[in-house]
Formats: sequence, C-alpha cells, structure tokens
Amino acid sequence: MAVPYKIWLSILVFIPILAMLFISFSNLSSSISVGELTLSLAHFKLLWESSTVIAFRNSLIFAVATTLISFVLGYFIAYEIKLSKFKNKFILLTFVILPMWSNLILRTESLANIMSENNILKNILGFNLFGNISGTWMAVLFGLVFTYMPFMILSVYTALEKIDFALEEAALDLGLRPIKKFWKVVFPLSFKGVVTGAIMVFLPTLAGFAIPKILSRGRIVFIGNIIEQKFIYTNYNHGALLAVVILFFILGSILLITKFDKEGETLL
Amino acid sequence: MKRIILATLLLSLTIVLTACNSRPKLRLLNWGEYINDEVVEKFEAETGIDLIISVADSNELFYQKINSKTTAFDLVIPSDYMIEKMVQENMLIELDYSKLPNRGTVTYMDGVNQIFDSMTQTTLARSNKTVDYTDFAVPYFWGTFGIVYNNRVEGLEEALNEHGWDVYFEADTYFPTARRGMYDVPQFAYAAAMMYMGNNPNDYSSTLLGEVETVIENADFIEWGDDTLKRNVESDNLDMAFVYTGDYLDRLYIQLDEGKTLAEVQADFDLYIPDTTMVFIDCMVIPNTATNIDGAHQFINFLLNPVNAALNAEVVGYAVAYQEAFDQIISYLDSADVTKHNWATANSIYYNMEAERTFYPLTTLHPDDIDAINTMVQNVITG
Amino acid sequence: MENQKATLKDYGYRDFTTLNKIYKILKKVFVVAIVLGLYISIIVIAIQSINESRNLSIFTRVSFQWYANILQEQELMQAIRNTFLVSSIATVLATFLGTFFAIGLYALSKKVRVLWMLLNNVPILNADIVTGFSLMLMFRLLMVVFPNIFGLFTLVMAHLFFTIPYVILSVMPKLKETDPNLMDAAMDLGVRPYKALIKVVIPAIKAGIFSGMLLALTMSIDDFAISYFTTGAGFDNLSIWIYAVIGRRNLTPSVYAFSTLLTIFTLVGLLTYQFLQKQKKGKKNEKNNFSDIAS
Repeated sequence: MAVPYKIWLSILVFIPILAMLFISFSNLSSSISVGELTLSLAHFKLLWESSTVIAFRNSLIFAVATTLISFVLGYFIAYEIKLSKFKNKFILLTFVILPMWSNLILRTESLANIMSENNILKNILGFNLFGNISGTWMAVLFGLVFTYMPFMILSVYTALEKIDFALEEAALDLGLRPIKKFWKVVFPLSFKGVVTGAIMVFLPTLAGFAIPKILSRGRIVFIGNIIEQKFIYTNYNHGALLAVVILFFILGSILLITKFDKEGETLL
Repeated sequence: MKRIILATLLLSLTIVLTACNSRPKLRLLNWGEYINDEVVEKFEAETGIDLIISVADSNELFYQKINSKTTAFDLVIPSDYMIEKMVQENMLIELDYSKLPNRGTVTYMDGVNQIFDSMTQTTLARSNKTVDYTDFAVPYFWGTFGIVYNNRVEGLEEALNEHGWDVYFEADTYFPTARRGMYDVPQFAYAAAMMYMGNNPNDYSSTLLGEVETVIENADFIEWGDDTLKRNVESDNLDMAFVYTGDYLDRLYIQLDEGKTLAEVQADFDLYIPDTTMVFIDCMVIPNTATNIDGAHQFINFLLNPVNAALNAEVVGYAVAYQEAFDQIISYLDSADVTKHNWATANSIYYNMEAERTFYPLTTLHPDDIDAINTMVQNVITG
Repeated sequence: MENQKATLKDYGYRDFTTLNKIYKILKKVFVVAIVLGLYISIIVIAIQSINESRNLSIFTRVSFQWYANILQEQELMQAIRNTFLVSSIATVLATFLGTFFAIGLYALSKKVRVLWMLLNNVPILNADIVTGFSLMLMFRLLMVVFPNIFGLFTLVMAHLFFTIPYVILSVMPKLKETDPNLMDAAMDLGVRPYKALIKVVIPAIKAGIFSGMLLALTMSIDDFAISYFTTGAGFDNLSIWIYAVIGRRNLTPSVYAFSTLLTIFTLVGLLTYQFLQKQKKGKKNEKNNFSDIAS
C-alpha cells in the first residue's frame, strides 16, 4: 500500500531536491529556462556571509527555544485535556487548534499591534498588556510559541489518549508518588507523541519567515527570510543553495539521532 | 466518512461547473484591491468580456508569474523598473494604438511624462538603445515617495522642511530619540540613502555601496516594515518612515471619511515630500503570453477614458495619470459631497505638481548589484 | 520554629491539602493563561472587526458594518470560496490517502521505513517558497500534455503534497501502539484483508487520523507561498489575496469580520454537536469518547 506514496514522494521530493542541488551549483539566473549553464562553486561564499550565519543561528536558537517551551506548556495542556471530565475530547482539541484557521498574517499583525506602545487594547483597557515588547526577541518567541503550540498539544494528546488509567492506578498502588508516577509511567508512554510534536513545532519554526519578520519589526532575520528574498529576486542559485544546505543539515541530524538511538523506534 | 467525501466532490463539481461559461475571458494580473469593483462591472457590461483577476504583492512576483508561463495572462500592471526589465527581455508585445482611440482624448500628467523620459534615458545610457516605453505601456496609476512623520513630535515638521533628508538619515544630529522606519525593500533603502547623499539613486558601484551602508547604519532604523510603517506612524509607534505617498493618502482618506478634518489628521501625522524623491508608475502592459490581445486593448482603451480612470481612482488612493481625470477630481473642491471634497483637497496638496522637484523612477540594476544591495542591507539589520 | 512541641510534620506526615489547593488554583490559572495566549490574537481580530473606525489602534464605537460589507467585497468573497474549496478537497483526500500510506509504510521493514519517514519530513521542513517553486517546476512539465493544468488541480495536488506528511506523522505513532497481531488475528478469523483493515486497524488509530485531519486542514487553509507558486488561472486563495492587498493598499476590516465569523461558526458548531451528542448519549448511556468522530 505504500508503493503509491513512494512513487509520489520520489517524484515530488527527490526530483525537486536534485533540481535544487543542480540550481545551487549552476549559474542559472533570473530566467527559469535552462539555457547556457555553467557549474561553479561561486555561490558557496554566500554561506560565510555574516548575515547568513547570524540568520541561521537565529533560526536555530528560536526553533529550539520554541520547541522546548511548547513542549512544557503544550504537554501541560494536553495532560489537562486528558484528565478533564469533559467527555468529548475532540471538541477540546478542535478548540485548541481553531486559532490556526485564521490567517497567519492577520494573527501575527494583530499580535504585533498589541505589543506596541499605543494599541487598541491599551485604548480599551487603559494599560499595556505586553508592555512595549514589539520588535524584541520576546515578541518573536511569544508569537512562535503560541502559533505552533497547538501542534504539540495535538500530538501529545494523541499519545496520551490511549494510556490506561488502570496503569496509573497500578503505579499508585505500587507506592509511587504522583510526580514520580508521571515520570516513570505516563511520560515514557507518551514520548512518541512528544517527538512527533517536537518535529511539527521545530521544523516550521526553523523554516518560517513571516512571524519573525512582523514581530521583530524586520530586525531579527531568520534563514527563511533570506531564502524568501533570494527567491523573490529570482536569485534561485542562492535560494536553492541555502534551502538544500538546511535540508541536509536537518535530515542529517535526524538520521544521526536515529543511529544513536538504540531502540531505533522512538523517533520515527 | 464516505458521505463527507461524496458531498465534497459534489460540491466542488457544482462550483467548477457553474464557474464555466462561454463568454470571452481576460486574465489580468494585478495588485490586491487595486481596481474599483464598479470599474470591473462596467467593463464587463460594456464589452461582454469576463475579467479574471489574479493578484500578487510585488513586481518581482509579477515577473515570476509571467516568466513561469503557468497562466496565460493577457494584461499585467507592473511598475516602471519592471517594465524596463520585461521590455529588455522581450516579454511584452507592442501596443496597437489603432485599437486605443481614447488615447487621443487624454494628456498624460507632466510627472508621468518625466518618468517615461527618464526610463528612456536610463536605457539609452545603459545599452545604447532608444526605447519609447509608451509603445508598450499605458499608465494606470503613479505616485511619489515621501517621508511620513509623526507630527506629535515637537519641531520635527520644521526640521524636515528645513533640512529634508538629513533629518531622516542623521540620527546623531537630529532627533536622536526619534523612531525611524524603512521599507524592507533593500533597493528602496539604497535609493533613499543615495538621494540623501545627493546622488542619482540608480547609480551603483561598490564604493557607493560601502558609503550607503554607513549611512543606513547611522540612521538607526528600528523597523523594517511594509504596510505596517504608515499605521505605526499614525498610531504614534513610529516617528518617521519612507513610504509611498499613496500609503499616507490611504490612511488620510480613511480618517477623513471617519469625520476628522484635514488639519486634525495633519496635526497627528503628515507627509513630507523631499525636493529630490523617488517616483513610481504602474502601467498596463500586454505580456507575450497573452491569448486575448484584442480584449486587453479593449480594457486599456476603456481605462483611457478619463471618467473611468477617475472612477477607478475613487477607491484606489494613488494619483491618476491623466490630466483630464485629475482636473475632474480637482473640480470636486467645490463639491458639497464631503468625501469628494476631501479627495480633491488631498490630491491638490500631495499631488501638486507645481513645486520644482527632481523625480527619480527606480531602474532595474544588474542582478549581481541587487544581490549585493540585498546582502548589504541584511548585514546592517543583523548588525 | 517557636513551638518546641513535636508537630505532625516532624513525624513525617505532610499535609498536602493546602498545597493541593494552591496547586489546583495555580493549574487553573495556567490553563486560562495559556488559552488566552492562544486566543489573544483572535480576540484582537474580533475587536478590530467590530470597531467602527478603520484605525487599528483606537477603538471608537461598536459597529457591525464590516460584517455587512463582506458580501460587497467581490475579490475577498472569491478568495474565500476558493480557499474553502481547495482546503476541503485537500483535507479529505489527505486524510484518506495519508492514513493508507501510513499503514503501508508501517508494513515495511524498520530500516526502510525509517528512511521513508525521513523523506516524509521534507515537505514539512523545506521552506515553503522552495517547495512551491519546485512543485511549480514539476507541474510545468505536465503542461506539455495539459496546457491548462494550473489552477484548482495543481493547487489541490500541491496541498496534498504538504498535508499528507502531517497525517502520516500523526497516524504512525498510533499504528505502533496497535498490536501487530490484531490484523492477523482478524484475518485468521476469516475476515478479508481490506475488511480487517477497516474493522480492526482503523478504529484503533482513530485518534491519530482525527488529529492528522485537523493538522491537514490547518496547514491547507492558511497556506500562502506554496499556493502562490502552484496556482493559476486566477484561482487565488485568501492568503494570496491578503498578501497582495498589503503590497499596495490597506486591508478592509471585513477580512477581520470574516476571520471572526469563521471562529464563531466553528465554536457554535462544536457546541451544538456536543449538545446533540449529549442528548443522544443520555438515551444510550454510552461512554465512548471517540466513537462518533470518524463515522
């Protein structure tokens, strides 16, 4: 049954990656048609440009921080959903992800709006809810966490859903205190969900550009911003190069983790 | 599950089927909300052509759309420098003026002619070819750039009127605490800095690039934004920003519509147009992917009618390109209709072309130079 | 300690009741704070949508004019219709296909599966603009045979490309929890393979399928960059339209109004569903949480 998807992925992933690789080595510029091409390594000096390095560092730091915070907060919420007496959990889950159905730009701009000095909430409430953090790293981190956390909640809940309460009771009978019980029994059982959630939060944060751009007022540059700019200015060589480098970097690290992971099952 | 799938498929089928009809189609690639819906309806009623509008948010994306040939667009509305590039790469077809009888009934505004001249000059200097861009393009809207400023800051207005660009770029000397913002289009930042330095914004050399980098660093911009700039100045979250005049007018009309007087709005935030500034023009052009060339001409001819051009401008806050349409708008100064009166007042103040000004439309730099400018700006931002 | 008498505490008894109370209150505060964090932008959008003024930083008066105005905005209405059409088709197909692909991938040997799951991450990881661009290049090859392919079809295909991985990613962990012998047992009992799949495996992974579906819809409904490159023939979705308006003009508050309506309608729909469900359950006295989702 996986054969169609293998074909699908091969065509739509392999070939484009090969194309990107090719483009990043070539001198194809502005026009998409393949005319007189020469291959060169000239574009690679882009990788040492200070803005590229800083942008990559920013993306990585923010993606890690966002994933960690989303994990803590998201796990907490997912756990509360699991414990809640509310029978229809799927309503709660939809409620959690519902904000994401509104357009990202609208949501992020309204966040930027209320994080600045004079804003509509201050106009109504009379005080500033967020202080004046617009344009700072705090604004960006807040935006990233509360945009992508629903992914974490959903994945963790999916994993928690099947954990039997009888198991927990058994743990209590064995004399484990609640916190210990959580670490020894519940958390390991839900770990797959955490990993899935972490991937879903980490990857889009790393590659994103709209949230950092709007919430930092254009001052914190992510690697996604640079890739976007390169593509918009039809500099496909540089754009493709950066995209491919990131792709291999991330896939490489995931592969590495699976290699060192003895069970080989936790991650994927 | 099966029912959901079936319902969705049925729904999509009906929508797809109802969308099909046999009227001739005209595919237009435009900026969002850059055309009055009434104009669309009037055009469709008069000609029996269905106008299908796609939208994009930058000239670069227009170029990409045309170049990728994924849709056969009949008409596009890019700006000056992109038209240069498209002509240079033979992406446009020449207009057939015999199909545009209304051209004889309108005169282009002086500013518009200046821009066309300047485009021809640039091409001549660069490639030794004489290109008359009116062969390919009919102006749609045009406008200047200016510095929108927060008039709640004491003395800022006087300083700008006296020292112009210096106030904006010399953060150490003038208003060190002022919050400055810049469009996040690197070439705009480069061009603005060049004009401040007294240069032609379309010149480029690596020495100049270095000087511009210092200038931009010294300006100490706290925001690199787009549509957010005007709103932030309006709401007292920013003090100065380099924007389209139309950006300011958009906000101005909104406030006037809501019952504020012009003086009240200006007391909050106003626009300063430097003596040397950037201008842009958006023109209707026919890409060589066009399949309905006749329809495209019909559309251009339709908008060359000053009445239709003015109708279009009623919703879009940019400057009309034809003197006759402009005169019609200005005639509303005597109108009892408040909206029309405000509209006329704003046009007479901010698009007043009697003041002596030097206008520079941007030109397409060499891709390597653009890339160098982009990287330079990124380096300044990441510090 | 002023009191020299030995207290219960000294005997090792710890009184958790006050601590428990504080913990419970704190927990509630946290939940409320996090939900507020998730919804703050939605609340602000709602405020902007009922603000009479188009100024985004000053609230003047409550007005519903922007709601009435949605129908007048032809470009906006078209974009909304397109968005719904694409997202509903893409979500249904992605959920369906993603589930079956996941089951298929799960049947592979571990080594091979890990590799394919790695590839599965590419569409999620890759910068949208790169995915969009390369998909456009791929679809363009098809133009030789189907010259008018760009539009709804390519858009749905592109959306499938980046939504299926999310479905697979949510279904896979659930599959691993199922007993591998489940399917065999069912087949031993004489059930045909595909029936066994529907009757045995699917119910066991229902929660994963559901969250995959939610994710797919979420990604699809709000996509800009990939849609931008892969659409054609004027088939623009809401995100493309919003970006394009920002390029030269101001957004009409009707966009906020639409956004708010979407949220409110969904919430009301959920509550109605819950209410109906409760009534039904009251009669049947059932306790199964998830049983009605996939039906």
